[in-house]
Amino acid sequence: MSTHLKSTPPHVPASQTTGQKSDTASIIYTGVIVNRNPIITRTPTAFERAYYAYHSRIERALHNPFPSEFYFKSGSIIEGQFEKEEKVREREAFGRPVRRVEEWRRKLHEKNTAKTEKKPKAEARIVIPGGVPQPMPREHEADRTGDVHSLDRNGERNVYLLVKSKDEKGKEVWRFPQGAVEGDELLHEAVIRDLRSEYGTGMDTWVVSRNPIGVYRSGSSPSSSPAKAPVFFYKAHIIQGQVRPDGKQVLDFAWLTKQEIKPRTESDYWAGVKDLLSDF
Amino acid sequence: MITPLLVLRQAKTLPLRVNQISVRYASRKENIADPRVEIIRRTLYPSTIRNRASPVGTWRPDVGRRLQKAIPSVQAHETIERAWLLHQRHIRRARLAELERKFSCMKEAMDALQQLDPRLYREANKVEDPRARSPKELEALKSLKGTEQRALESRIRGLFPRELRTPTDTPPREGWRYNFKPIIELP
Repeated sequence: MSTHLKSTPPHVPASQTTGQKSDTASIIYTGVIVNRNPIITRTPTAFERAYYAYHSRIERALHNPFPSEFYFKSGSIIEGQFEKEEKVREREAFGRPVRRVEEWRRKLHEKNTAKTEKKPKAEARIVIPGGVPQPMPREHEADRTGDVHSLDRNGERNVYLLVKSKDEKGKEVWRFPQGAVEGDELLHEAVIRDLRSEYGTGMDTWVVSRNPIGVYRSGSSPSSSPAKAPVFFYKAHIIQGQVRPDGKQVLDFAWLTKQEIKPRTESDYWAGVKDLLSDF
Repeated sequence: MITPLLVLRQAKTLPLRVNQISVRYASRKENIADPRVEIIRRTLYPSTIRNRASPVGTWRPDVGRRLQKAIPSVQAHETIERAWLLHQRHIRRARLAELERKFSCMKEAMDALQQLDPRLYREANKVEDPRARSPKELEALKSLKGTEQRALESRIRGLFPRELRTPTDTPPREGWRYNFKPIIELP
């Protein structure tokens, strides 16, 4: 966190001069909430799966017949394979088709009068050389080990960057990355500079907008006077890369979901910040 | 909602065939050059005579029977639909409440900024035009070479970057890209 003071603004706002030290009151901090978007879609609940299965079955009952002659050459191997698979699926959905009595009698007659042993038909199947490529599993190794540095963990959810750094009193706290505004720069420019300087150039981020998404004012307790400096939070997304902390200001980092952030932060800070995060 | 269901419910005597229009598709009986063309013609322009279910038609002779096989009962089906809509309503309300909370935080921040520093507030409220380029960027563009110029032009303020990935059912094969080296230092 830079201790460079903000240069005097063109006009000092009237609501500023509550504290004795007017120079600390003119510091503005910008924090950034870096979000890694979900990588995979959400797992459907049991109710959703049941509902989709129910509607798939209705669709199977009511859909228009498949235009087999358009998609397959009549009599081809792949057409036979498809029809076999379709029969299995139809049977799974609706059970075996009910045969009429005459048809049953005819089949039985044929079976009884068949003299010769029927040779089993050669199973014609289409084989893809090298096998069909399998998709990656939804659960990553980082989910099993619980590695909070990893950006592959909790692929379904939004994870946010939380860092451990020293606050003004020298205490090590877990909080969102924060920095002071230097010189005449604008708030979003301060955020971009702060991200690059302290978290290395190994992180490709995108700060979404020019305006802040939230403000946090520490010092709900009247005893802490210099802690009235407001922190304006900005939203950013990480696109690729990883945090490379310099170890001086930033001691440790973690990519956490909203529920995991709560126990790590101070209750005062959490109350000011929780509405900025996504629930899932 | 499935309209044959409602039809069944309203009147059992209502025929499932209505408006019998018979229009035959055009077919050339003289010289059929390529059977594939005939197949395509039949698929694109099916017969509208309702004697059979067809791939593009919306009519089946046995709709009622098939529906009876597919759903347990009309009441059960409607209960399931209502449960689903209720479930969707819960999800929607939760989502809107979350957005409401986020928006009120944003409003609070902007009000605080306005009280604190009007200049910063004015700058924060400016709408970013994706087509505009600051004079700093124009200078930088002149001095850089090909790939770097393209890198500078790719990230446009006011638009989201195209490298943002949409969620898929399974993660990418290589996982997250941890090794990133920026081509140029973006302003």
